[in-house]
Amino acid sequence: MEVQEPKRRIPLVGTVEGVLTVFKHVLMKPVTVQYPEEKEYVPERFRFRIFLNLDDCVGCTLCEQVCPNKSIKMETVKRNNPRNKRMIYPDVNFGTCTVCRNCQEICPTDAIYLTHVFETSRTKNSFLYSPEELAMPEEEVKK
Amino acid sequence: MSLLSFTYGIFKVLGYDLATFVTFLIDSIVFLLVASVAVAGTIYFFRKYMARVQLRIGPNRVGKFGTLQLIADAFKLFGKESILPRLRDDLPYKVAPVLVFIGLLVAFSILPYGSLYYIGDIFISNSGVGIILLFAVLAIMPIGELLAGISSHNKYSLIGALRAVAKDISFEVPMMLSVLAIVVMASARTTNSLNISSVVTSELLPYGILEPLGLFVFFISMIARASYTPFDMGESESELVSGYSTEYTGMRFGLFYLGMFGTILLGSFIVSLFYLGGYNGPYSSDIGLIYLLIKAVIVVVISFTVWLAMPRIRIDKFVNFGWKYLLPISVINLVLAGFLTIYLGW
Repeated sequence: MEVQEPKRRIPLVGTVEGVLTVFKHVLMKPVTVQYPEEKEYVPERFRFRIFLNLDDCVGCTLCEQVCPNKSIKMETVKRNNPRNKRMIYPDVNFGTCTVCRNCQEICPTDAIYLTHVFETSRTKNSFLYSPEELAMPEEEVKK
Repeated sequence: MSLLSFTYGIFKVLGYDLATFVTFLIDSIVFLLVASVAVAGTIYFFRKYMARVQLRIGPNRVGKFGTLQLIADAFKLFGKESILPRLRDDLPYKVAPVLVFIGLLVAFSILPYGSLYYIGDIFISNSGVGIILLFAVLAIMPIGELLAGISSHNKYSLIGALRAVAKDISFEVPMMLSVLAIVVMASARTTNSLNISSVVTSELLPYGILEPLGLFVFFISMIARASYTPFDMGESESELVSGYSTEYTGMRFGLFYLGMFGTILLGSFIVSLFYLGGYNGPYSSDIGLIYLLIKAVIVVVISFTVWLAMPRIRIDKFVNFGWKYLLPISVINLVLAGFLTIYLGW
């Protein structure tokens, strides 16, 4: 196929069109969200923060087995729970969690589930949530 | 009544010689301050405008709506270490930024700014050859850029300076020719056709309506003079790190930066004085300054939009454009101006 010469246009018309297109953007609203002061819109069905109900967890390790990139490890917590004789509970590393919700799907007692909270910003090396922290609301974990 | 006589009236008790000296001194200092603040305001306006064009918000943390951002930036530049290249050519290296900035400020003091109620006509120098003086002063700034490029001992600076000079040569001849057309038209109505204020006062219609070609050539020349994006080959930060200002740091770089934005403001004033009717306007002649400011701000907005909309053109294309298109257009414009003046008496 032959490469065709671009169609000749009147000079400066394209230039003026470009300038006008740029000028139109002045009238639009800025898309920047000033994060700490104003919050980004989060859809209603958005899920991120994993929550753990310590009383319901039976320590079956299914969530650890199903986690695709091994973000969940089982951890021993000294706690008096007759349904969890081995006293092992999952902890979650949110640095590698892909929010696939496999753990919620497979959990036989619905002890582990994802919540609507999305503000889990951490410093480096503090993405790991222990089982007790998973059971707390986010505001208390920050303290 | 003018700004000078207004100030002279205050210092009349000092006697003629001393009062004249103090009058010019104080008016010049006031003018320098006002010009510097106006340039800073231009930079703030540019940053806000660029942000809004790119759907951002722009500076909004320092002061209300970020108005103090420029002062913060100036303090930052003052506080920075001035790193000097080891193999520099010392005197030109240090003189160059000052030369650019002084050329700008002197050019500001040559223009007339119309009148305001009690102060009267605002000008510092009402020279009989104001137009020649203005463009002579404007020709100082490229010398500063050339000195900066050569004395930095850096190949990017040198190439940038050479490009800047090639650019200057190719647009200055058409620019002067289009100004000459204005002088030709003004000479039919005033004996003082090289004086800027008599050129502006004596016009029948704004020269931009009578000479649209001249306006086109002159506006492009002013864009090239200020060397922003369509014609910023002297700087071209994507190819030559920063052109002639590569080796400059701290406030020396800040002077180049101020010089660039100041030239945009100055170019807008010149375009609105020569082509858009300057401080002439309907209703009242007492608010000429406000008319001039409105026109200048409109030209500044157009300049910024052009800046943000266009890519940089290649240096050889610009040289071609200058010599093959702008020069013939300005010659045609000159002939048309002569025709209008002689046969139609406009």
